[in-house]
Amino acid sequence: MDIRTWLKNSHTAVWQNRGTLFFTGLTAVLVLLFLYLFYAVPAASVGPEQPIPFSHRVHAGDKAISCEFCHSYVGRSAFPGMPPVEKCLYCHEYIIKNHPEIQKEHEYFNTNTPTPWAKVSYIPEHVFFKHIRHIKKGVACQECHGPVETQDRLPQRTFLMEFCITCHEERGANMGCWLSCHN
Amino acid sequence: MKRRTFLKLAGIGSLSVAAGCTSRPENTLYSLVRAPHDMVTGEVRWYASVCRECPAGCGILAKAREGRAVKIEGNPYHPVNRGAICMRGQAALQGLYNPDRLMAPKIKGHDGTFKDISFEMAKGILQKKVKGAAGKAEGGIRMVTETTGETLYELFSDALGRSGALKPLVLEPFAYESLRAAHKAAFGDEALISYRMEGADFLLCFGADFLETWLSPVEYSRKFAAMHGLEEKRKGRFFHVSPVQTLTAANADLWLGCRPDTEAAVAMGLIKAALDWGRGEHLFDELKHGLSRATAAYTPEKVSEETGIAVEDFNRLSNGLLESRWPLVLPTGSANEGPNAVKADIASILLNYIINPTLSLFDFTGPQRVTTAAPRAEADQFFDTLSGRPPELLLIYNANPVYGFPPARGVEAVKAMLEKDAPFVVAFSNFMDETAAVADLIFPTRLPLEMWDEYGGKEGIYATLQPATGLLAPVPHIGDLFLEVFYSAENRPAADYKSLLMRSGMEKAGVRSEREWLMDVIRVGGSFKEKEPVKANAPQVNPDVPAMLSGPVSDSLSDYGNGAASGETRRETLAFLALPSIRFFDGRGGNRPWLCEIPDPMTKVAWNTPAILHPETAAAYKLAQEDLVEIESEWGKLHAPVYITAGIQPGVIAMPMGQGHWGYGRYADQMGTNPLILMPPHTNPESGGPICAAPVTMVKRGRRERLANTDGSRSQHGRTIALTTSIEEVTAHDANHPVKHGLTMHDAPIWMPTPEGYDKHKDFYPAHEHDGYRWAMTVDLDRCIGCGACAAACYAENNVGTVGIERMLEGREMSWLAIQRYMDDDHPERVIFLPMLCQHCDNAPCESVCPVYAPHHSKEGLNNQIYNRCIGTRFCSQNCPYKVRRFNWFSWQWPEPLNLQLNPDVTVRGKGVMEKCSFCIQRIKGAHGIAKNENRKIRDGEVVPACMQTCPTGVFTFGNLLDEKSRVRKMVEDQRAYQILSYLNTKPAVFYLKKVTQHI
Repeated sequence: MDIRTWLKNSHTAVWQNRGTLFFTGLTAVLVLLFLYLFYAVPAASVGPEQPIPFSHRVHAGDKAISCEFCHSYVGRSAFPGMPPVEKCLYCHEYIIKNHPEIQKEHEYFNTNTPTPWAKVSYIPEHVFFKHIRHIKKGVACQECHGPVETQDRLPQRTFLMEFCITCHEERGANMGCWLSCHN
Repeated sequence: MKRRTFLKLAGIGSLSVAAGCTSRPENTLYSLVRAPHDMVTGEVRWYASVCRECPAGCGILAKAREGRAVKIEGNPYHPVNRGAICMRGQAALQGLYNPDRLMAPKIKGHDGTFKDISFEMAKGILQKKVKGAAGKAEGGIRMVTETTGETLYELFSDALGRSGALKPLVLEPFAYESLRAAHKAAFGDEALISYRMEGADFLLCFGADFLETWLSPVEYSRKFAAMHGLEEKRKGRFFHVSPVQTLTAANADLWLGCRPDTEAAVAMGLIKAALDWGRGEHLFDELKHGLSRATAAYTPEKVSEETGIAVEDFNRLSNGLLESRWPLVLPTGSANEGPNAVKADIASILLNYIINPTLSLFDFTGPQRVTTAAPRAEADQFFDTLSGRPPELLLIYNANPVYGFPPARGVEAVKAMLEKDAPFVVAFSNFMDETAAVADLIFPTRLPLEMWDEYGGKEGIYATLQPATGLLAPVPHIGDLFLEVFYSAENRPAADYKSLLMRSGMEKAGVRSEREWLMDVIRVGGSFKEKEPVKANAPQVNPDVPAMLSGPVSDSLSDYGNGAASGETRRETLAFLALPSIRFFDGRGGNRPWLCEIPDPMTKVAWNTPAILHPETAAAYKLAQEDLVEIESEWGKLHAPVYITAGIQPGVIAMPMGQGHWGYGRYADQMGTNPLILMPPHTNPESGGPICAAPVTMVKRGRRERLANTDGSRSQHGRTIALTTSIEEVTAHDANHPVKHGLTMHDAPIWMPTPEGYDKHKDFYPAHEHDGYRWAMTVDLDRCIGCGACAAACYAENNVGTVGIERMLEGREMSWLAIQRYMDDDHPERVIFLPMLCQHCDNAPCESVCPVYAPHHSKEGLNNQIYNRCIGTRFCSQNCPYKVRRFNWFSWQWPEPLNLQLNPDVTVRGKGVMEKCSFCIQRIKGAHGIAKNENRKIRDGEVVPACMQTCPTGVFTFGNLLDEKSRVRKMVEDQRAYQILSYLNTKPAVFYLKKVTQHI
């Protein structure tokens, strides 16, 4: 078979299967687009939208406010604690008070409404993680939570057992199932 | 379907299932608007308060997490209970978070149905009604209340007085009328006194169920342990005379079953014996002669004839009593009101007076608060007047007369009266109970855990309540409501009830400022300064009192018990007794699932109500266990399954009170049977108390009704489970008791759950190495009274599911700690209680059979159950010789808002997972945390599991076995210590101390 016949035949084959090929191609493009949007777009590593666009980069990074100022129970309780709205207003009563987003904060305060922050760090229910123990051992916040001081919106993250175990093993920390994490 | 398609679909299916498996239950984190001063997320806050589940008024500490109370513990500073609390106290939380709690007021429409209204609206209605009815004395406003603290009662009285109304009637189903009448007769004062039981070396009790409901059960449980527990190789002796072997009677060294209502004859026989013995020289002649005359007929033979107690048993009793140094005689029980109850109570007081001239064990200084309750006759009269001449407005605060009165009286008279149009009935109730259901307006007010208040169970105790939990609805405080409704802004004695309370409280507690009041009184739970011990100033005994003892004793109920054993006819008369219940008290505990689920200590029946009778009675009526019978008295009829036990007199039927509600929420409604159905509507003419005994006939119905009985077996079948030793044995082998060396059940020694217990000849696995701690527990069976407070505490602390009667009948109860009750094979009236929990074996049979390694031995010796590893083979439960592992056949439900009680430190287990006692690992970890912060080791006694914390008698000791100086280690070295089934070489870390019996 010479090349011309081959070309003609394949032409015909492509033409005859044009519908299938079109859908295959379209699917491939869509998949690639989806993968790009899901993983590769710069915003993908950014966490969920928050009711107020709070930036950890500005507060913890640029302004170098200690984590413990807002999450004030972190060194003495299991939970770090979310700052009460009144605490935000300690500063924002004076700093950019009239910014529309800060006005939202005032709105929450004035109407006595708890702020519904979107959760970013997940830990399964049957794990009884205690922040106090890790802070007392001198574990820096960033060791688990990543460089929050460089991020505007924190990405969502689920902590898995492997993550805990690896570190506990490295540091020779408590490895008892109940004695360390589960009850 | 083609194979390929199937595989594809299966693949997609499993992928989508896997994709759905995320553990992100909550997506939102709410931040508070303002941070409260007393709440740190993740940290516990304790609020001192007072338990109001019965009039005893024990001090409690409510543990709050994130603004909600999750656990109740006793307040160690409180003089009544000293840190312990009973199962009803533990279950107060299930009242607070009851799913059937009313969250809004309800008003009855013309069609008889209730409609929710707002609190503001309800307040408006109340205000209008009060204004309309003001100034009309008896025809205006009347009020019924439960026993309350002084401040609240004074406010009620003052508020009503302002509207020209009389003081409120205090209604308490157990008002101790006969005892009060006896005190009135003997001392001229009806005040209910306290008893210095801990100072006695001999206790005789005519039915007072002081370990269950009588006066102040937690206090007397503690004092009883002090009196009866083994100390310095001696222990006090305890005789109990009653027709039914209650829990209290089961703790006696000798229970003497008597015919119903013949306790008076025994007491009089003892008076005669004491006088004959030459006691009572100190009595005035008049009294002495009166007594000799009144009791002359009561020779031991006569007593035996009247009561059915053998002459030799009676002689043992009288000898024991007269030989003892510090005897104490207690009267009849909370609801033992037969026709002769007053006589028995007078005789018991006189007996005390004869054998102990100074009455040094009677404490007259602080009368019980429940003395303020009206005798039943007075309450009856109150309701009679009401129906004759109805007031315009009737207020009922936390009382349930429609259920608490015998239906013969309650339903027909009280209910009919309440249902009439004439009085507008307002029930300040949080539940749709029987009384609320017939009210016109139901107005929920705050429950004790949400209130500022004060309540002293005895005069002289100033104890305070404070809110320990956030409000579930904008429920007002009853005090605030009264201040608002009955007073105008000008004449209001205080802006709110809290300031009123503080004003009176500062005076009573002797503090000067609000700050002092908060810091020194509220924070501690009251003002408990050690007072100067007042020398018991016993009042003079009225010399006329013996006259009240004259007359025959046997003219009443005792006749009922005679013919039963013969079984000649089917319709002969039996005596029926209604017993106060340790679980439900008078019935107010009926809607708490824990109290329903934790079995009765004596019958081990949960959820339903059995009719308890003797094997002879059962034989006469050809009854087998769980046969349904119909019991009928002149006043009513009921059906119940029978429970056959030797712990009752032949010819007597007994039934615990508290169930058989018609209303009161899903857990109480139509559950069990109410024995009051059979009771007469009238009261005892001598005392004015309700009658809790009735002559009945019994007929067998063809059917059976299964009882949710959890005991499995009453006998130990010769196995070494709950062991006893005699006092002689304890005293004889002083230091060198024989050491056992065998491998069989009876000669296996203690094998320590530590490396020292390893022996290469008998051990297959190497010993576990422990890192600093090896947790262990000792359980002193000599102190265990079987009350079940520990079991309730365990349910509360560890989120143990309640399964309900259907699952219970399938044997699927979840209790991590259960009190086992065994009866002696030869002497079934000898009962022994044993708290059974995971033994945390060092050689645990469960660990070696699990295919997925879910039961895991921790480095501190605990047997950990890893829930998320468990796949539910249940091999471990099969292999556990102690049968303490519980399998979740279902995901148990905590209908909202009951889930708010769940301990946030403990995982809630789901379906398909095995679980069991963890030695309260969360508390061990808590202690670890504190110790680490302070850079030290955990101190001995720092870890207190929930069961140990609440035990009123100090049964449990918990600690580190590796610490040579720890208390638990010392207890293990006690000669009474043993391990259950130690010959199996499981090496349990729970050591039991044998019960010390004394046969007298």
